[in-house]
Amino acid sequence: MTEYVIEANGLTKSYGDFKALKPSSFKVPLGRILGVIGANGAGKTTMLNAVLGLMSYEGDLSVMGNNPSKERGKLMQDVCFIADVATLPKWMKVSEVLDYVEGVHPRFDRARAMSFLDRTNVPQDRKVRALSKGMTVQLHLAVVMSIDAKLLVLDEPTLGLDIIFRKQFYASLLEEYFDENRTVIVTTHQVEEIEHILSDVMFIKDGEIILEAEMDELTQQFIEVMVTPGMEEEAQKLGPISKGVTFGKTTCIYKNIDREKLAELGETRRLGLADIFVATMTGEGQ
Amino acid sequence: MNTYVALIKREFLDGQNGYLRVPVILAALSIFLVVVSTIGFGETIEFDGVFDDYEIENLGDALTEAAASKRGDEELPAAITLSYWVMAGISWVALPFVVFFSLLSALYEERRDRSILFWKSMPVDDWQEVLAKFVTPVFLAPIIFLAIAIGSQIVVALFLSIVVLFQGGPVLELWPLASMIGTWIYFATLYMTMTLWVLPILAWVLFVSAYASRLPIMWALLPPAIIMAIEGILFETTTVLRWIGIQLGGWQTYAYRDLNADIDGPADFLALVFGGLQWEALTYSLGSTQFWIGLVIAAGFVFGAIELRKRAT
Repeated sequence: MTEYVIEANGLTKSYGDFKALKPSSFKVPLGRILGVIGANGAGKTTMLNAVLGLMSYEGDLSVMGNNPSKERGKLMQDVCFIADVATLPKWMKVSEVLDYVEGVHPRFDRARAMSFLDRTNVPQDRKVRALSKGMTVQLHLAVVMSIDAKLLVLDEPTLGLDIIFRKQFYASLLEEYFDENRTVIVTTHQVEEIEHILSDVMFIKDGEIILEAEMDELTQQFIEVMVTPGMEEEAQKLGPISKGVTFGKTTCIYKNIDREKLAELGETRRLGLADIFVATMTGEGQ
Repeated sequence: MNTYVALIKREFLDGQNGYLRVPVILAALSIFLVVVSTIGFGETIEFDGVFDDYEIENLGDALTEAAASKRGDEELPAAITLSYWVMAGISWVALPFVVFFSLLSALYEERRDRSILFWKSMPVDDWQEVLAKFVTPVFLAPIIFLAIAIGSQIVVALFLSIVVLFQGGPVLELWPLASMIGTWIYFATLYMTMTLWVLPILAWVLFVSAYASRLPIMWALLPPAIIMAIEGILFETTTVLRWIGIQLGGWQTYAYRDLNADIDGPADFLALVFGGLQWEALTYSLGSTQFWIGLVIAAGFVFGAIELRKRAT
């Protein structure tokens, strides 16, 4: 039997007439890394804030069997999140942050956090204010990775960091934290950087979930063809969801069309997640 | 239990400038003033007409003379106890400011610097957070201030003892322990009674810190001022102002109405304080409807602050 960490049924969030999240139903099983992808203001953060008990909502939502809007305190025993870079209290010393988490979190393993920090240049006696942006994120990641939670939510955790930190961040997340007993949810703009770690993906547009799929399946569904000159008409007949021109050649993107058939039209290749996202958002591939 | 310790410790660390540094600096300053003036005693400070039949050259002489005087047995311990409070009591001036500004920033700063998102990622309920942020300045800060006041009184007494020891005076007279400890306890209990009266106003400040999106100090001060102005213009009354005045300490005028205020010397004053004030303050408060209404209002504002904290991101 599949164990679900999140079960949402008709989850909705409105601000007056504006629906930040249209009625959405979804389930997230244990042991997955889910990427939630959408443009700015699409409703990603709204959805995650509801899941984390940070805001009120309408509809049914159960996270690890808890009602997030009523039981945030209890929920946070099993759920952890980094909502943004730089939310660590700036006036605290690094060691005081660890003291505090150790004091309030029964599932925090300080020794583990220390071993993560020992590998970084984060000084223990310094205040968070005096740390660089990269060090702050390393500290925060060391804290959350030392909490034995079932669900970790990362909302734009690497915004504004340089590429080396971002790579390290996702590498250590995958290698040292993730296992089949945990689920990680990530949102980010830098889709290319996370696509290799994702097992599942969800696209959100204008407050609506427009696609939910497993990564393996998704990347097989979308195929781009660089159409051989003269075959444009045939290409059009197969109903591409998006068309473009590269180096003077027509390129078409297809969804759920047999690859062998497409190979007759020209050179085929699989699409990256970012391209699939763009094609889905702009084309008729929904 | 661990959670509460961690929360209170965090609040203390966050506000340790106000909770610890300010009173310690003020206490050090007042001890310094005592030292300077003691060194000048008998040289620059003259006691015209006080000790006219005796040659007073230093503190030791003064103490010997005072102890031997007619009412010395009775008055000296009380006088010394009270003078310790005067000599080492400056820190208290800072306490209302520390409490006010701690409460004003309690639920405001965490939203401004977004650290609320970190606090909320921990398994701590919003009511626990809000209570920790209320209890620390309102109840813990006075305890720290009192401890520092007691500590500096002892330092002053030790210093004076050494001076008098060298000058050859009655050192033990400088340690009226019973009345010193008595005033500490008295002070703590009266202060708590006063705090309970001020509680609705303190809870209002906490509520504002949870509500204001910017300039919390304006939110804290303007609405009461506007209400008072409207009341004054429409009804030409001052009910709100009077209510605030009574909560802030005006209640004591009523509480001590029946006390015999015929004070002749420090011993009478201390006797009044121990025998009457404290008791009258407590019984008057417990029997006052306004006192209880104030507590209900305080609970309302704290509840409001918790509800706002739940929704804040």
